[in-house]
Amino acid sequence: MTAIAPEQGTSFLDPTVLSRIGNLELLARTVVEGFINGLHRSPHLGASMDFAEHRAYMPGDDIRRIDWRLYARSDRYYIKEYEADTNTNFTVILDVSPSMRYGADPESGRISKLTYACYLAACLTYFSSLQRDRVSLATVDGDVVDYVPPSAKHLQLILHTLDRLERKGRDERVGAGKTTLFKPLQKLSENLRRRSFVILISDFYEDADDVVKALGEVRGRGNDVIVFHLLDPHEIDFSFSDASNFIDLETGEKMPVIPEYLRDKYREIVREHTATLAKRIGETRADYSLFDTSKPLDRALFTYLAARQRLLRVR
Amino acid sequence: MNFLAPAFLAGLVAIAVPVVIHLIHRERRVVVPFPSLMFLQRIPYRSVRRQKLRHLLLLLLRCAALALLVAAFARPFFAKRQNAIATSGARQVVILLDQSASMGYGDRWTRARDAAKKVARGLRGNDRATLVLFAGDASVASEPMATPDRVVAAVNAAQLSAEGTRYAPALKLATQIVAASTMPRREVVVISDFQKIGWANHNEIVFPQGTVVTPIDLGGAGRATDVGVSQVTTDRDSTGVRDHVTVAARLVNTGDKPRALAATLAVGGRDVETQQATVPARGAKQVAFASIPVPSGATRGAVRVTPDSLVEDDQLAFTIAPDEAVPVLLVEPTTPREHQSLFLEQALAIGDRPTFRVDVKTVNALTPRDFTGRALVVLDEVAPPNGAVGAALRATVNAGSGLLIVPGEGRAETWPAEWRAMVPAQIGRLIDRTSDAGGTLSAIDYASPVFELFNAPRSGDFSTARFYRYRALAPQPNAAVLARFDDNSPALVEQPVGEGKVLVWASSVDAYWTNLPLQPVFLPFVHQLGKFAGRYADPRPWFTAGEVLDLSRHGELTAPFLGGRGSDSTTELVLQSPSGERTRVTAAGANHLLTLREQGFYELRGRDTPVGSGRPIAVNVDPAEADLTHLDPQEMVAAVTAVNGERLPGSDLNLATPEEQERRQRVWWYLLLGALFLMAGETAMSNRLSRSR
Repeated sequence: MTAIAPEQGTSFLDPTVLSRIGNLELLARTVVEGFINGLHRSPHLGASMDFAEHRAYMPGDDIRRIDWRLYARSDRYYIKEYEADTNTNFTVILDVSPSMRYGADPESGRISKLTYACYLAACLTYFSSLQRDRVSLATVDGDVVDYVPPSAKHLQLILHTLDRLERKGRDERVGAGKTTLFKPLQKLSENLRRRSFVILISDFYEDADDVVKALGEVRGRGNDVIVFHLLDPHEIDFSFSDASNFIDLETGEKMPVIPEYLRDKYREIVREHTATLAKRIGETRADYSLFDTSKPLDRALFTYLAARQRLLRVR
Repeated sequence: MNFLAPAFLAGLVAIAVPVVIHLIHRERRVVVPFPSLMFLQRIPYRSVRRQKLRHLLLLLLRCAALALLVAAFARPFFAKRQNAIATSGARQVVILLDQSASMGYGDRWTRARDAAKKVARGLRGNDRATLVLFAGDASVASEPMATPDRVVAAVNAAQLSAEGTRYAPALKLATQIVAASTMPRREVVVISDFQKIGWANHNEIVFPQGTVVTPIDLGGAGRATDVGVSQVTTDRDSTGVRDHVTVAARLVNTGDKPRALAATLAVGGRDVETQQATVPARGAKQVAFASIPVPSGATRGAVRVTPDSLVEDDQLAFTIAPDEAVPVLLVEPTTPREHQSLFLEQALAIGDRPTFRVDVKTVNALTPRDFTGRALVVLDEVAPPNGAVGAALRATVNAGSGLLIVPGEGRAETWPAEWRAMVPAQIGRLIDRTSDAGGTLSAIDYASPVFELFNAPRSGDFSTARFYRYRALAPQPNAAVLARFDDNSPALVEQPVGEGKVLVWASSVDAYWTNLPLQPVFLPFVHQLGKFAGRYADPRPWFTAGEVLDLSRHGELTAPFLGGRGSDSTTELVLQSPSGERTRVTAAGANHLLTLREQGFYELRGRDTPVGSGRPIAVNVDPAEADLTHLDPQEMVAAVTAVNGERLPGSDLNLATPEEQERRQRVWWYLLLGALFLMAGETAMSNRLSRSR
C-alpha cells in the first residue's frame, strides 16, 4: 500500500476558506477529492477482494475457499486469504455541548469548534461513504441529541443533520449545565451491534479519568476509536489581554479574570490536561489527536487514514 | 500637627474612588464567554491575585494626589509643643490641704498633715512648694516659693476650720499659682477626704497643660458614719404670762446602723434636759425638749449629743433672746379725723413675728427725740416737718429707718424743699373715682418684699379693694413703683434714702378714701409694709461658719448698744470671736461685714459693755459637713486637667504674631503644589498606559 504523506495538498483546505462554501457535501467533496488526488490513489481503496496470502487447509475450513488452481499445480490444499472486508460501520460521535460553540467570529472569519467539527465529520463521513462503509452520526450533549443509524445510504441524512446542527443558535444552551460523555457513550455503545469505526470529536472539558471511563464503554465492545480533541487557539494560548468577567458557556458561572496573571498557569494546566488525555487514551489502544480550529482539515484525514490502515488489517 | 478646617478631612473618603475603579470596575466591565472555567478555577490564590492592583503605581499616584488635595483644604498647621509634660527640671508643687470640719473625722486631720509634710519633705534641689489651706474658702498659708522646711512649719501651724468644704476656690487659686510659675514641672497635690458635697464641676477650672494633679484620698477607705445635730428650732409661745420657748433638735445618722444616744439641752451654761433617742440608720430623728421660759436677755443655748468620730457637729449652739418689738411712730395731723389712725394702729398691734410697738403723736407735738430708735415713721396725712424736727427725721431715715408718707389732701408744693429730693414721687392732683365705683390695684410688683407674700394663689386678693380717691404720683427717676391703680397711676412708690427707705402711699390708710382697711388683705399688707419699711429681719438663733455677718441687716444684734434703731450707726462696736480675737465693727458703713469663721459663740459689745455682758452670736459647723459621701478623686482630676490638647487662653498659639501664625499655616501651599504635580504625573502615566493597550 502506498505510504501516506501527511500535510500533502493542504494549500487550499484552510477552514476559514472552506467556511465560505455553503454546501456541506460540496465542502466534503472538495476536501476529500483534493486529498485523494494528492495521494494518487484509487477512490475505491479496500473495496475489492484483495488477496493477502495462502495457508494450509485445516479441517473445518470452507472448501469453497480452497485455491483449486494451486491444487492443480501442487496437489495440495491451500486456502486463499483476503484483506478484511472494508464495508464496515463508520460512526461519528460529535459533542455539541455549548462549549463547542466557542470561537466563532464573523468579523475575522474564525469558525467555532462546532463548525470545524461539522466540517470534519462531513469530510470523514463522505470519505467513508466513498468506501461504501455504512455511515452513522450521533450528536451528544450530556445525552444523545440526534442519532442517524448506520447505513450506506445515510450520507445525505448525516450531512443534513450536521448542516442543521451548525445553523442552530450559538447561545441556545448556554448555562445549561456541565456535560459529561459517559452517559451518551454508554447508550450509543449499546446500539453499535457490529464492530464499528468510531470517531469521537469533542473539546473534552472533563477529567481525563471520566473521558477514559466513557471511552471504555465504546472501546470495550471491540470498536476501533479515534479521538479528535478540538480546541480553539485562544483556549490553548489564552491570548486575552484585558481584565474581564469570564462566563462559563456550559454552567453560566462568572469569574473575574486578569489574564496576564493567569496565563502561564492556565497554559500549563491545559498542556497537562492534553498530555494526560493522550496518555490515558493511548493506553486504551484508541488514537488521540489534538486539533486547533486554525489547522487544515485534511490533516484530520491523514490521521484517520493512518489509523484505518493500522486498525483495519485483519489477519 | 493640627488642622484649621478638619471637616475637609472627610474628603479622604474620595480615595476609595480610584481603588474601586481599579479593583472592581475595570475588572468587570467586559464579559467574555469562555468554553469552560474548569481550568481557571484550578489556579490557586486567584482571589488574592484578582485583588492585585493592575497599575499599582497609577493608583498610588491618584490616591496620593487626592490625599494631598484634601490635606491642603484642611489647612494644616504646626503647633509648638510647649505644654507637654516635662519629666525633668525643678518642680513647683502646690499642696492643697483640706482643713474643713469634716477633716476632724477620726484621725483624718493627723494623716492629712502627715501627708502634706511628706510631700514637702519629698522636694529636692530647686523644687518649690506652696501650701494652700482650704475649707469654704482658700488661702495661701506659706509664701509662694517656700522651701520644704517652711512648708512643714506652715503645715504644723495649720488648724482645723469649722467651715464646710468647697474645692472650687482652692483649685482656682492653684491654677493661678501654677499658671504664674516658671518652673518646668508643675504639680498639684490635693490632700482631702473628698467630700462629694463640696464638689461642683462647672468646667471653669482647668489646669495648664503639663500640670500633674495628684489626689491623696483620706476618706476613701470604708464608709464614714456620723451622728450629729443638724438643726435646732425655737418655737415661741406667748399665750401665758411669760413667753416660753420650745427647743427642738434634729439629729441625723449617716451610718448603716441605728444609733442610740443622749441629747442634752443646755441653756445659759447649765444642762436643762437630757433625752435618750435612737436615730435610725441613714435617717433623722426629731427631739423636742420641754418648753422653758424665755430669758430676759440674749442667752446662750446648745444641744449636744454623745460624741462620736466627728465631734464638730455633735453640738449645735444657738441663742435665745426676748422678742424685740419694732418701734413705729405714727404722726397724725393736729386735728385728725375720727379714727384716722385706728386701722393702722390696730393692724400693727396684732401678731408677734414681729411685734410692732406703735406710738401715735400729733405733728405739733413732735420733738427730735421722738424719732430716736424708731424703725418706722408714718406721716399720716401730715406734711414732712421742717426745722430741727425735720432734720432729726431725715437723719433717722438716712441711718436706716423707714418713712411712709401718706399725703392725703395736703398741698405738697408747700413742703420744705429739703424733703423734695427724699420723697420718691411728686405729689400731684387728687383723682376722684367715686363716679365709677372706685379704682382697683391692677399692677402689683410681686417680686417686691411687700407683695411677695401674696404671689402664691389664694394668698390674698387685692382686687376687691376699691380706691375712691387718691393722689396722682409722678415717680422720681430712682424710685420703684410697687403697685399701680387700674388707670396706671402709681399707688405705692419706694425709694432708698441713705441706709433707709421712703415710701409714698397715694390713698389713705383708713377707710376715708378706700375700703382696703376693711379687706382681709389689709392686715398682712400692713405687716409686710412695716417689715419692709422698717428693715426688719427675722432674728437668727445661729449662724453657720463661713457665713458673712451683715450687721446692717441685723438691727436686733446692734440695737442694745446703739440706744435703739435709727441711732448713729457708725458707733464702733467690738466683736470677739470664740478664740478671743477682737474685731472692731460698726452697725453700718465700712466695717459692718465680717466672716464668721470659728465655731462657738461670738460676743458683740459696745465700747463700754463689760466682757461677758455683750450680745452672744452662735456659730456652728456647716451641717452639710455631716454628709461624708465620698467623691472619686479621679473624677475631680479628670475634670480639672486639660484633655485632648485643650489649651488655656493665652497659650502660645494665641500669643503668636500674625506673621508667625501665617507661617505655621503655609503648609497647604506645598500640599497643593504636590497634588498638582502628582496629577500631572498621573495624566502622563495613564495616557502612556492607554496607548500601550
